[in-house]
Amino acid sequence: MFTGRGQAAGAGTGFIDPRVLAKIDNLELLARTVVEGFINGLHRSPNLGASMDFAEHRSYMPGDDLRRIDWRLYGRSDRYFVKEFEADTNTNLLILLDVSASMDFGSGAVTKLQYAKYLASCLGYFSSRQRDRLGLVTFVDRIVDYVPPSAKHLRIVLQTIARATASGQGSIDTALRQIAEFARRRQIIVIISDLYDDPERVVRAVARLRNRGNDLIVLQVLDPAELDLPFDEASNFEDMETGESIPVVPELLREQYRTLMQEHTATLARMMREERIDYALFNTDQPLDHALFAYLADRQRLSRIR
Amino acid sequence: MSLTFLAPLFLLGLAAVAVPVIVHLVNRERRNAVAFPSLMFLRRVPFRSMSRQRIRHRALFALRILALALLALAFARPFVDRESRSLSASGAGPREVVVLLDRSYSMAYGDRWSRATAAAERAIAGVGTADRATLVLFDDEAVTAAGPTGDLAVVRAAIASSRPGAGSTRYAPALGVAQQLMDRAERPRREVVLISDFQRAGWDGQELPRLVAPATLSTIDVGDSATANSLVTGVDVTRDATDGVDRAIVAARVARKGDRAITGARATLEINGREVEAKPLTIPASGATSVIFAPVAVPDATTRGTVRVSGPASDDRLPVDDVFHFVIATAQVVNVLLVESPGASASRTMFLPRALGIGESPSFRVVQRRLDNVTAADVDAARVVFLHGPGMPSGAVGDRIRALVRGGGGLIVALGENSGTRAWSGTSELLPGSVGEIIDRSGERGGTMGSLDRNHPALESFRAARSGDFTSARYLRYRSLSPGSSDAVLARYDDGSVALAERRVGDGRVLVFTSTFDGYWNDLPVQPVFLPLIQSLVRHAAAWTAQPSSHTVGQVMALTEPGAGGELLAVSPSGERTRWSETDSIRSLALREQGFYEIRDANAVAASRTIAVNPDVVESELGSFPADELARAVSPAAGAATTAAGFTTLSVAEREKRQTLWWYVLVLALLLLAAESLLSNRLSRAARRDVAPASARMNHA
Repeated sequence: MFTGRGQAAGAGTGFIDPRVLAKIDNLELLARTVVEGFINGLHRSPNLGASMDFAEHRSYMPGDDLRRIDWRLYGRSDRYFVKEFEADTNTNLLILLDVSASMDFGSGAVTKLQYAKYLASCLGYFSSRQRDRLGLVTFVDRIVDYVPPSAKHLRIVLQTIARATASGQGSIDTALRQIAEFARRRQIIVIISDLYDDPERVVRAVARLRNRGNDLIVLQVLDPAELDLPFDEASNFEDMETGESIPVVPELLREQYRTLMQEHTATLARMMREERIDYALFNTDQPLDHALFAYLADRQRLSRIR
Repeated sequence: MSLTFLAPLFLLGLAAVAVPVIVHLVNRERRNAVAFPSLMFLRRVPFRSMSRQRIRHRALFALRILALALLALAFARPFVDRESRSLSASGAGPREVVVLLDRSYSMAYGDRWSRATAAAERAIAGVGTADRATLVLFDDEAVTAAGPTGDLAVVRAAIASSRPGAGSTRYAPALGVAQQLMDRAERPRREVVLISDFQRAGWDGQELPRLVAPATLSTIDVGDSATANSLVTGVDVTRDATDGVDRAIVAARVARKGDRAITGARATLEINGREVEAKPLTIPASGATSVIFAPVAVPDATTRGTVRVSGPASDDRLPVDDVFHFVIATAQVVNVLLVESPGASASRTMFLPRALGIGESPSFRVVQRRLDNVTAADVDAARVVFLHGPGMPSGAVGDRIRALVRGGGGLIVALGENSGTRAWSGTSELLPGSVGEIIDRSGERGGTMGSLDRNHPALESFRAARSGDFTSARYLRYRSLSPGSSDAVLARYDDGSVALAERRVGDGRVLVFTSTFDGYWNDLPVQPVFLPLIQSLVRHAAAWTAQPSSHTVGQVMALTEPGAGGELLAVSPSGERTRWSETDSIRSLALREQGFYEIRDANAVAASRTIAVNPDVVESELGSFPADELARAVSPAAGAATTAAGFTTLSVAEREKRQTLWWYVLVLALLLLAAESLLSNRLSRAARRDVAPASARMNHA
């Protein structure tokens, strides 16, 4: 399923550095650059429908279309069975992009928001290539922009992503409650956020969407400085969302911070897994296509197991 | 010898040592504010590990604090005061203690007096042999009762023998005496102790004598927070002689202070020491009521009256003001001899007797005579002679009239047709000017009164606005009068001619009206102003003054009554006697006690006059004010110069000499600041060396 370029990912070469990506202003070009070579049909539609791919047989029920009875099987078993097929395309992909102020942080070439934008663009482009209907929601503690899913909305989605700026205080719980009110159709939902919230609350909010029959993918984006706390000088650390400030001597609490952060991401991963929600952590100093390939490969592998 | 400061306010600069603390603790961390996505995990780390309170660069910190403290000390101008012992009012040394003890009658309330004397004892308890103490008793005047003395027994005896009086509280005299004593004091420590109930009525916030440093004032308040008091605020005596018997109707005003009404009390009326009537009494809380007693017959002699309020002792803890004394004087009569012209008709002589017949206070007894039948006995019986029309009687009658006037009696003359120049021959010393011809203004329908000296005692009753319309009367004829330089002109007509003039002759007074009172030369007798004018003129000529039924403690009476020329004796209620000899030019009596004063000829037995004296009811207002207010008003001003005798005051140059210490402190502070600069630069360079690699690490991350 992967191209040779994708296979090279394992060696850590040939991927596009985020610093290079940062120089590409056009998101469509960027997405095409990253996604080119991906094949169609990486995901399957959660709906059963009319297609060429057979799914399963089931017993005939009165009212079923007589044309769908498998006469060959009737010949062999003298029973009526109906053939079911998977609808492998024309599904909805809704990307939920966190644009809260904390996403504006970046210690390297790109901020978390820029990286998240690349991710969203690539996924959007990728699904559009599959003729999926593409939609977008940017949110903080409320919905900022909403582009309803449509097969023709790639341009609008990419423009909306390009226009998005980070500001305001984020709350994934509140935002997903609002989204759940209108996202009633079963669809694939991709959440891109730094997930600075209590893991239980995050998972509960995401699981609420999943329980409506949606296929959930959670992508957590973090900066390396957030993971390692590499600061030396004692300083006042100011919360980018609340403006609150506390004096911090990093050298004294770095280890404790790292431990807490690792516990946080580990807890998120564990709880997502328990809820059968796809979760991946993206570090903004990792090449984007590498991360995508790695994730999609994992997802493909896991979907087979399921 | 002690360290003191010339400008101690600069010591406030010591607060500046807080600046390095803030710089070292707080600002250090505010240099770089790092924007971070979320403090979610940082906040979970225990606070102690953030090391907010840690002070870096302890040596630098100590240098900065020390330098700032020394700067503040240097500016406060420290100097060694070798004579502080002798200059300090609060230091050791002999004391001059003045105890001001309030003895106004409000101090008799409850147990105030015993508390006040106990406080006075305590105030002098610490006085040693080298000290001196003075006891000043005061109410509305201040008296030094003992001292200044170092013998405590004398002062204690004075305290023990003193009692609350009948006076009212005034603080100014007491503080004035205290200041005088302080000025004369020779001891370095000077203390004034004021013991009082601090009645609001005693001080209305006016300027008080201010004590001069180093004198200090301490106050001891012996007042009570809640007070209950009943008092007689006054008595009105009305005379009634309708059935021929002179009776007095006594009405007393009784008031209640405090928030509790009083029931079951009694008001009694005593006449000449004998109770004649008692009435039950109910007074509302903080209210007043009046009690009217039945009319009592007044004997001829001066009658003493007393109204008392009595009730449960718990309802009234101030007995002094429960009694009100008054005097019912015998009816006051002014004898007037009215002399008419021989041929005057009844219609011309009717106005004056009728105008004088109405008076009550005083009443006028008029004896009317013609010029040809007036006798010397008539003149002797009169206080005022009224010559209505005729000239001066000749012979013995004329002589008696002259003697009457010189002795303090009065003469009123109304000029008429028969009182030309010849009628007054030989009387130039009596009349206020020379009488001239008749001025006839009937052609112009008469003249009017032009100007009036309403400030003159004879016309004083018309001083109030719109009292006495003198312009409505028309004067057809009057005689011209040329007053002398020493004569007073009381009224003039509209043409400037004299209408009324006065001359003082001996102790008496002569008034001349240049027209008549018979309704012929003018229509004055039918004007409303006629009656009060005539009565006013007669009262003035008789030198009559109203005698009040009672006086107030603190008043000073001038004893000027007729017949007081000889040796006089006054006996106070407590029996204290005061004498005035014949040669005393000033005869005045200060009323200090509550009760009846008797004044009589020193050789007579019976009193010629009785005076009732009561305490000032203002003192019964027991509301008080904070003693601190008064202490602030009279305490020495801050920074006041010490100029009292026996104290050394340094000159400016001498003070400058003794203040060289601040130079050394300043130099030391500057040296420390220089050291601080060196150390700070060194530390800054070291810090910059440390910061560079850290920045590099950061960028690399």
